[in-house]
Amino acid sequence: MAKNVLLIDDSSTMRKIISRSLRQAGLDFGEIYEAGDGLEALTLLENEKVDIVLSDINMPNMNGIEFLREKGNRPAIKDIPVFMISTETGDDIIGEAKTLGAIGALKKPFTPEKVSEVLGPLI
Amino acid sequence: MEVEQFLVDATLEVFSSMIPIDIAPEPAECAALAVEPDVSSLIGLAGDLTGVLIVHCPAPVALSITSAMLGLEATTLDEDVRDALGEVANMVAGGLKVSLAEKGKKIELAIATTCIGKAIRTGGLAGAARTAVTFATPSGRFWVALCYILK
Repeated sequence: MAKNVLLIDDSSTMRKIISRSLRQAGLDFGEIYEAGDGLEALTLLENEKVDIVLSDINMPNMNGIEFLREKGNRPAIKDIPVFMISTETGDDIIGEAKTLGAIGALKKPFTPEKVSEVLGPLI
Repeated sequence: MEVEQFLVDATLEVFSSMIPIDIAPEPAECAALAVEPDVSSLIGLAGDLTGVLIVHCPAPVALSITSAMLGLEATTLDEDVRDALGEVANMVAGGLKVSLAEKGKKIELAIATTCIGKAIRTGGLAGAARTAVTFATPSGRFWVALCYILK
């Protein structure tokens, strides 16, 4: 069954690029929802059926780490998997994201081929 | 430390991965040529290197970069251009962060800000070093600059 995806990134350009990359990769997904930061994402997750979240880390209002922490405190959504897509590559911050439940990370910039390779098995 | 080369490598990686436009860094003497920017994206850096990274673009280059990123023709300097150039600055700064980390220098990135207009003057930190790299594209030149203090 096709999975619904939530993209969280403060850049609308980046959301469009990721969305396009998913389509180009021929992945079988359902709806693609978008949020500009962690706060918007939490609201959306409470109201829509989302199967996987692709999230940036550096964002205003609520960043990706804060989002993971807050999501983990909400029983209704805490088990939805989150994959990080960010310019952040340091072991410390990616390690913290994984400790908070992130299932993996993809570095920006990325090619469509990399998106297909990394996200294909998840979607 | 070869900070200028880090900027070149980071910018080339961003374009080769995500922006299908041919770019080429120009020799250092070309960097002295005035680039009249219409769009400037700035991102603050803190940590072992403190300062600001700026991507300056004239309008035709900003529009071509935005068009290439979005896969549609951008014709005016609007919110899409502001957002796209901000993301370019963010990713170049991310590449710089990786290169510095390999040298044992740790930095943090702020959120990028993009200004549209010609009457922009950026003030630097007292005692900061400055470096800039000019890149040629089919639409003209753009410029990646770094004003910084390295601990």
